Amino acid sequence: MTRKVAIVGVGMQKFEFRKKETVEEMIFDVTRNALEDCRLSKEDVDAVVYGSAVDAFCGIHNSDKVAIDASGGILKPTMRNSTSGSTAISTPILGYTHVASGLYDLVMVICYEKMSENLAAQAVFSTCYDETYVRPLGLNVPIQCGLEARAYLHRYGVTERQMAKVSVKNRGNAISNPYAQLPMQLTVQDVMSSPYLSWPVKRLDTSPVTDGARAVLLASEDVAGELTDDPVWVKGVGRGADSFWFMGRRNADLGRLDYAYLAAEQAYDMAGIRNPMSEIDYAEVYDPFTYKEMQHCEALGLCPEGGAGHMIDEGISLKEGSLPVNASGGLMGEGNPIGAGMSRLCWCYLQIKGQAGACQVQKEVNTAVCNGWGGMFQYNAVMVIGRSA
Amino acid sequence: MAKKEKESGMAIGGDIQIHYNWTVGKAGERFLTELKDNKRIMGARCRLCCRILVPPRIFCEECFVEDMEWVEVEPKGTLVTFGESYLSTDGKPLKEPWMLGIVRLDGSDGGLIHLIGETRPEDVNIGMPMEIVFKDKREGNIMDILYFRPAKT
Repeated sequence: MTRKVAIVGVGMQKFEFRKKETVEEMIFDVTRNALEDCRLSKEDVDAVVYGSAVDAFCGIHNSDKVAIDASGGILKPTMRNSTSGSTAISTPILGYTHVASGLYDLVMVICYEKMSENLAAQAVFSTCYDETYVRPLGLNVPIQCGLEARAYLHRYGVTERQMAKVSVKNRGNAISNPYAQLPMQLTVQDVMSSPYLSWPVKRLDTSPVTDGARAVLLASEDVAGELTDDPVWVKGVGRGADSFWFMGRRNADLGRLDYAYLAAEQAYDMAGIRNPMSEIDYAEVYDPFTYKEMQHCEALGLCPEGGAGHMIDEGISLKEGSLPVNASGGLMGEGNPIGAGMSRLCWCYLQIKGQAGACQVQKEVNTAVCNGWGGMFQYNAVMVIGRSA
Repeated sequence: MAKKEKESGMAIGGDIQIHYNWTVGKAGERFLTELKDNKRIMGARCRLCCRILVPPRIFCEECFVEDMEWVEVEPKGTLVTFGESYLSTDGKPLKEPWMLGIVRLDGSDGGLIHLIGETRPEDVNIGMPMEIVFKDKREGNIMDILYFRPAKT
């Protein structure tokens, strides 16, 4: 029998390229912000969970040890998680299991990435590929996305213009986000005329290289009531992984993310959600590239499979739409510090609490979903949160 | 992409240089040896589910057994997807694009990713038949395949 788990506070900070703070200083900042958010001290926290995707970005391997002091983790149980980009949501899921299991009442979840410490993020990404069959080919991130985006457009007939609208939406939304790195007022034409990185992905279809951290404080149902009158509960969690051998896997079509559909199905089953399109009020969807937001909206059931183009054309996912997606600006507008993409969860929480400031959507938000994606077309992690458990 | 770099704080410069010898493994060794010596593409057939895995492995990840046998697969197949880039791997702008494609190999349930050559992006389509062009002087690595090209036969 698992216990109910509530989110009782979040710690935010500005996302930037080349932050002046060290990894440790970044983590101290968000930890303190999360503790202040729920008027707790570090002594109240039972355990700390860390998430960071790739140590080679900051150049300190086992970088979680750098996080111990700054997260209030000294002489406490700590654990680090890493599932590529999906670290963003698999880490709060790890925190959730810490609490739901009954082991701990208050768990601090810290996600961080300092991507700009090295001179070329591409050189780091290149170390993530299989050495025998893939890396010697010189695969880079643009082509990696080209392989996937082309398959997606081919399968579903989504267009480059529809992709461009996602960039306009998210970068425009980021203008209201005080933590955002890359707010921009763009037109579809701006995006369409930006240079191709790999068809159909253009420069303005991508997210930036970012430094930043986020903190989320999780509490068991036994203590959540003492901390807040308005707890936001974790309603459902799900994860999925697909074969490392993407070139030979059973589902050869990279256009359909079987593993993301699986993760969403688990999370919705657990949350008792049968029709996400009507039961989800708000979504923060992992959008390192425009087409990824579209694939994820489909996998999360926020629109029919293949319907993400229609969704953006109809304005459904706009901030004032009937199912707003990434009103914070998402990874494209707020910034994409891989593991610290946990910001997607933070913004779902802030929207439900009515604390999203200028990013707050007009409609009432009771139930929200977020996800993370990562690896060589590998991982997805999904979390549903809401007012009712 | 990142905004123009703003003034940043004090920093300590340094490099991490580590040399590796990556083990090719039991399956990879056979694959690369056949590729080098005989220009053959080898797959591993699971005796239980009969799927032929490329790249080959010593186990079937679905049946979860080690009951595999080596089979030769065709050096040609169908293009599943491809990507082109006007940037080199280390980020330098290029005049001519280069391409990588994933090809499902005939006579197998798997495929390989490799360079695409002898054509341009506008002439390439998902679903096209492709064939492998082998290097003349082979060394026992994946670059013993020069590239895939649109099938001529």
